[in-house]
Amino acid sequence: MSNVTRRNFGSAFTAALFVGTSVFALHAAQAQELKGREVVLGAIVPSSGHFAEWGRTNTVTLKMLEKQVNDAGGINGAKLKLVIYDDAARPAQATNSLRKLAGDDKVLAVAGPLTSSACEVVFPVANQLGIVSTSQASSKPGVAKANRPWAFRNTIDEGILAKTTVPYYKKAYDIKTVAVIYDAKDATAATVGTRIMPAIVKENGIQVLNENDLLSFNTGDLDVSAQVTKLKSLNPDGVVVSADYSQAVTVIREMKRQGLIKPIVGATQLISSAILKAAPEIPIVAPATFYATQKAEAAQKFVAQLQPLLRKESNLPPEIEPSMYDANIYEIVGMYIEAAKKAGITAKPEDLEKDRVKIRDYMAKLQGFQGLGGPISFNEDGDAIKAFYIVEGKNGAWETKVRGCSSASGGGCGS
Amino acid sequence: MILQQLVNGLTLGAVYTLIALSFSLVMGILGILNLAIAELFMIGGYIGFTVIIAQLPLPLAILAGMCGAALIAIIIEKVGYQPLRNTPVITPMLSTLGFSIILQNVATNVWGSDPLQLPDQFLGHRFEFGPISIGAMQLLVLGSTVFLVALLAFVVQRTSIGRALRAIAENRDVARLLGVPADRLMLIAFILSGLLAGAAGVLVGLHYAAITPYVGVETGLKAIAVMVIGGTTRIWGALVAGPLIGIAEVMTVAYGGSQIRDFVVYGLMILILLLRPQGILGGARTDQGPRV
Repeated sequence: MSNVTRRNFGSAFTAALFVGTSVFALHAAQAQELKGREVVLGAIVPSSGHFAEWGRTNTVTLKMLEKQVNDAGGINGAKLKLVIYDDAARPAQATNSLRKLAGDDKVLAVAGPLTSSACEVVFPVANQLGIVSTSQASSKPGVAKANRPWAFRNTIDEGILAKTTVPYYKKAYDIKTVAVIYDAKDATAATVGTRIMPAIVKENGIQVLNENDLLSFNTGDLDVSAQVTKLKSLNPDGVVVSADYSQAVTVIREMKRQGLIKPIVGATQLISSAILKAAPEIPIVAPATFYATQKAEAAQKFVAQLQPLLRKESNLPPEIEPSMYDANIYEIVGMYIEAAKKAGITAKPEDLEKDRVKIRDYMAKLQGFQGLGGPISFNEDGDAIKAFYIVEGKNGAWETKVRGCSSASGGGCGS
Repeated sequence: MILQQLVNGLTLGAVYTLIALSFSLVMGILGILNLAIAELFMIGGYIGFTVIIAQLPLPLAILAGMCGAALIAIIIEKVGYQPLRNTPVITPMLSTLGFSIILQNVATNVWGSDPLQLPDQFLGHRFEFGPISIGAMQLLVLGSTVFLVALLAFVVQRTSIGRALRAIAENRDVARLLGVPADRLMLIAFILSGLLAGAAGVLVGLHYAAITPYVGVETGLKAIAVMVIGGTTRIWGALVAGPLIGIAEVMTVAYGGSQIRDFVVYGLMILILLLRPQGILGGARTDQGPRV
């Protein structure tokens, strides 16, 4: 090595050491700076109403995460505080909750709301107030896209998922014809049932037997005998059921009662352990980004930690398992915590607006956040780029059949 | 398919009839609309389910559902009706609405918001009659409905309790002068309606082999429409109006679409209110007694 090279190396080493020390010092100073403060984050979950189960498990998940973070020393020394409100899956109540979280509780960012109907009302308000709101479940196409830059969703557009779900369904069950039934009062279910599924099914060369007469029911209906009798009379190879799982259970039970044992295809809304009990002999094909029996190590660890806590809750079924939306909200708050740690927030009341902008910018540029099923980032529409799985529910268990990635290129979701 | 849809409509109508009977009993005799009945029906169903899941006999489940709902009906009468009976008619109605919301919350907290499902064997055996297929549970619901309507009609028309109830409906003060214990009879009316709602809850739950905390609202509103269409002063009215609404609803869904279902059902109710306010089988307006 020449003297010049040695000198250059020495300078470079000194510079690197200086930069490294400065960064370390900066981080240490920042950690020191946040000590004694509180990082306050908000969440909007439906702990009452039709989706109470999801809201209640979301609450347990968030409390577990809050404890984990604070037990591990907090966020750069600051204590994490989560403020959780129940919106009963009602858009107006969700909007009030967001205003309260932003105005009264002074939170940095909000996880939720859960439903697309609530997001359609809450996201414009989040934009107006300048606070990040990230939904854990909304998957109706374009809901975050219409409300940039503050709206995000840790979910994948159902249109993208259906493009992988339907070809697998067709191949696995030799489907040539389907009939469609959907919940007309659920925003996502109605969009999937009337627009997404019929279009993608036809793209795949499958005939929709009731294309001009799609069957529907309303959220809360217990009697769907008329609809199922009509489905049966069409004699399809398979049935598209577009509904939240608790409503889909009613349809599947009626299908079984009337002897219509045909494979079902649907959207992420079908994923639950409860639906597997409705008629174990009827196969269900649907996409998921997480399910409780998933094999990934991070997912298994999450389930092992959360499941006992859920089962201790008196207002949840004793056999309950963590849902996809628990995983999603866990990841969302995890992203906010990472942003709070790395984006240089001060957590001072006078810097609240600046801190919110830092969180927003960090989320928009997020790369490789380690979620439970692999790395997560966001596309320009504010929707998650993450791995998904086409799963088949049969004889009481979900099983992964296809792994996909929601990015346009198909990459960026890890292996 | 039409014949099968008729069977579906009849079964659905029987469900509405059972709940309409509960509404009818309190409305027709006491003159108030007890909105909590829809939730008594739901709670009765849950209690019955709990007994069935505990692998106890079916008759015990029905009995438990009936007694549980009747017990809550007693509480409603003592807390939500009796202290308010001299207030404007809207007051006890709002009080029962409050009870209704509380009961739904209780069910969500105790049993969760997910549908509670019965094991597969409760989906029952099906009987095939040519193009028609009918389940054992559907037959049970249909049979029980006819039996309960007949039983209630007998109680109201032929027993001393029924005569006393009708006397109170006619004129509470005169009934009291004649020695009818009005307070006790009002409580009995609430108990009877609770027993009916509880039985309906268990039967309907068995029929669908599933129940949710929200089943009461939708079904209860339809049952009110059945009561109005059948006539609040005649027990048998519900037996006619229930299947009528059930068949109208099912045929609308099958041949028109779910979107216009409620338009047809409630449109029919409004039409009856306009053309024949006393209902299809209701007597003359003078039949209707004052509120007790």
